[in-house]
Amino acid sequence: MSIEVTNVTKKFGDFVALDDVSVSLPTGQLTALLGPSGGGKSTLLRIIAGLDSADSGTINIEGTDATRLPAQKRGVGFVFQHYAVFKHMTVAKNVAFGLEIRKRPKDEVKRRVEELLELVHLSQFSHRLPSQLSGGQRQRMALARALAVEPKVLLLDEPFGALDAKVRKELRDWLRRLHDEVHVTTVFVTHDQEEALEVADEIVVINEGRVEQIGTPDQLYDEPANDFVMGFLGEVTQLGDVRLRPHDIEVAVTPGLAGAIEGTATRVLRVGFEVRVTVATSGGDVTVVLTRTHARQLELVEGTKVWLTAASGATTVPAMVAV
Amino acid sequence: MTSALIGASEVARPASPEGRRPRRFRRSTPRNTLTRGAGLGLGIAMIWFSLLVLIPLSAVIAAAGSGGWDRYFSVLRNDQTWAAVTLTVGQAGIVTLVNIVIGTVIAWVLVRDQFWGKRLLDVIIDVPFALPTIVAGLVLLSLYGPNSPLGIHWAFTENAVALALAFVTLPFVVRTVQPVLEELEADVEEAAASLGASRGTILRRIILPSLAPAIAAGAALSFARAISEYGSLVLLSGNRPFETEVVSVRVLTFIENGNNGSAAALASVMLFVALVVIVALDIVQRRVARRG
Amino acid sequence: MVDVSTPVKWLLRLVAVGYVFFLVAWPVGLVVQHTFDAGFDNLTEALSDEQVVGALQLTLMVAVWAVVINLVFGVGISLLLVRFEFPGKRVLSALIDLPLSVSPVVVGLALLLVYNGRDGWIGPAAESAGFQIIFDSPGMIMATCFVALPLIIREVVPVLHEIGDDQEQAARSLGASTRQTFWRITLPSIKWAVVYGVVLSLARSLGEFGAVKIVSGNITGQTQTATLVVEAKYQNFQQQTAYATSFLLILVSIACLVVVAFLRPKRTH
Repeated sequence: MSIEVTNVTKKFGDFVALDDVSVSLPTGQLTALLGPSGGGKSTLLRIIAGLDSADSGTINIEGTDATRLPAQKRGVGFVFQHYAVFKHMTVAKNVAFGLEIRKRPKDEVKRRVEELLELVHLSQFSHRLPSQLSGGQRQRMALARALAVEPKVLLLDEPFGALDAKVRKELRDWLRRLHDEVHVTTVFVTHDQEEALEVADEIVVINEGRVEQIGTPDQLYDEPANDFVMGFLGEVTQLGDVRLRPHDIEVAVTPGLAGAIEGTATRVLRVGFEVRVTVATSGGDVTVVLTRTHARQLELVEGTKVWLTAASGATTVPAMVAV
Repeated sequence: MTSALIGASEVARPASPEGRRPRRFRRSTPRNTLTRGAGLGLGIAMIWFSLLVLIPLSAVIAAAGSGGWDRYFSVLRNDQTWAAVTLTVGQAGIVTLVNIVIGTVIAWVLVRDQFWGKRLLDVIIDVPFALPTIVAGLVLLSLYGPNSPLGIHWAFTENAVALALAFVTLPFVVRTVQPVLEELEADVEEAAASLGASRGTILRRIILPSLAPAIAAGAALSFARAISEYGSLVLLSGNRPFETEVVSVRVLTFIENGNNGSAAALASVMLFVALVVIVALDIVQRRVARRG
Repeated sequence: MVDVSTPVKWLLRLVAVGYVFFLVAWPVGLVVQHTFDAGFDNLTEALSDEQVVGALQLTLMVAVWAVVINLVFGVGISLLLVRFEFPGKRVLSALIDLPLSVSPVVVGLALLLVYNGRDGWIGPAAESAGFQIIFDSPGMIMATCFVALPLIIREVVPVLHEIGDDQEQAARSLGASTRQTFWRITLPSIKWAVVYGVVLSLARSLGEFGAVKIVSGNITGQTQTATLVVEAKYQNFQQQTAYATSFLLILVSIACLVVVAFLRPKRTH
């Protein structure tokens, strides 16, 4: 295991940011810390990096106890949400910073900076100032800067949080490819479940200072440990006494299947390639998602009587009483 | 340059939305985050600050207190001192009122008007801050003294006191109001106009209330500076007892006569006023911060 | 934005320009004019007056020391106030501003009470150790430090707040020590604010009058600074020398204003 977090607790005044958290992050993998804002995931990342300290518990990085080590000596690369670029230095100088601090020979620094700028596709910008770059370019530069010192682990705090949707998507794919090339143990924090599901090898879901579940994207999606994880990873609706995903509901316009719940379509909304239907049942409104083709086959319009069943193999969790 | 000298400007200005990212909650809670090096630095800084500011100012209070209330009364009941106090407070009050009106007008002109030479006007506003106060007195004497090309001879009169105070306090209200006016969003005024408000109403109901904290801060600073002014009055006012002698001059006379106790008593009153101004400013700033 | 009507606009413009013209521009212009009444004679005469030259040298020496001390203290305190939490921080940050609203005469008195060699709190001990403070340059430097104390801090603190500590944390995570972080990251980021504060402090230090007058003893040829010379010369009916010396001081303050005016736009980025 590359990073071993054991029984870490962190409080800010009365607020418990991390409550006895233990996580093991395997070497060479891309791990996402996923959860809602204020849930403690960024705090955990900063404690791993040594930028904050835990009240109790230990951090072990690549076999050495790092609990008391200052950030400078942990051998971690850290990428900040708002890039934290050194505004007064050129792109090349930013990337060279860690190497110059370590007093590496000039020609080695130059060669390494060129390599890294190549890797992040910024070679032609090496003499620009960060203010002349776009947000996405700045973040790639920050990434190169963190990789320059060959960290044992790379930590990214909401790395794409400040970027617009399109650039986010691009950088996300690019990060995945970069990781496949460089293979450094990487942990990134995100509150975007799509981002985590798409990029990560493993996801740690953190909420209210506690780990809710650890697993691969498939495990989390298919076997959520609880209602929270299920709800956080995607849309959920309630059919009878189970909660499940809206696209896991089978719709029929004739009664027939045993246990089907009867209802009336009250709203049919077309969103791109899918159709979202709100069905009023005796147990409340149920949201169903169908493909357009399917909806057309069923001739589904507002007022149509429908019978709903959970699709076979659907992921379900029992509904909580109060929901 | 004035924002630094008056200080209230960056505080009275509403915090810009992207300029200062809100500090995350976890920053505010730890009580003591000093590292060993920082602690040492703080220690050295505090020793110097104490030697330079805290101990000397305490000495003033101690020297003032050593004579008990009796000395306070005897110092303040002295007719000449009382005349100096009323003159200083009175003239400072008048000048502050003038600054509130003219300072706001100048700030308005600098922000909302466009004309040739505006940039120059903007720079000249700072001249009273950069100019040594003794030179300020000399400068005013050249236009309002015995050889005035205007034929106005105000030297050694109450008018000279007001003039000198107006000169040295000119930038305060201008420089506190100006940035707030700059950041006042036009769309708020446009919204008011679209709702049918007249120009007068917009000015009264929208603009002036937003400027009020800045004007108050500028006025407080201007008043504090005016009651403590000394250098610019030396040459201009003639320091005539009962007529043009201000509190600072009175304190200096006590010092020159070796009467440090009386000097300290009067000085401590001035210190108290300075303290009141600082506290008042802090309250205004906090209120603005809460609103912004 | 509300447009005022044209007559009102002109009225406001007239009030603003007129007030500033009669209060500041014309009087300053007159002093410059008086200085050159007799060509450059007044200036050359003043600059050949030993009393004036000595005072100018003393003023420069005192101002430079005061600025250097305030620079080190100011940047240090700013970093402590912005980057650290400690008990009493709020009080300290309020007290730092105190010198701005204390009368120079009170500053002089305060230093006199503590550091005079006869009955001061610390003065006699210092003097018996061979260190005279009052009526000598150390006292004058202290008085100047006092009045200019908050200027650099007021400039640097908002900039430190604005840049945040992300860059410093990034530097730390890349292995930079505290000292390396300060010299390579923090200082370059606050460079312009520091320069700006230094220029302000310099202007204030060169022009200090009341506080220095009290602690220096105003001894001709020994502890008389440029501003004290202006007073002495004017009252001695050597008005031309007073004007010429004032002109030099005006020149320096306007130069400071110009430097600052050039720095301003850079800071807004």
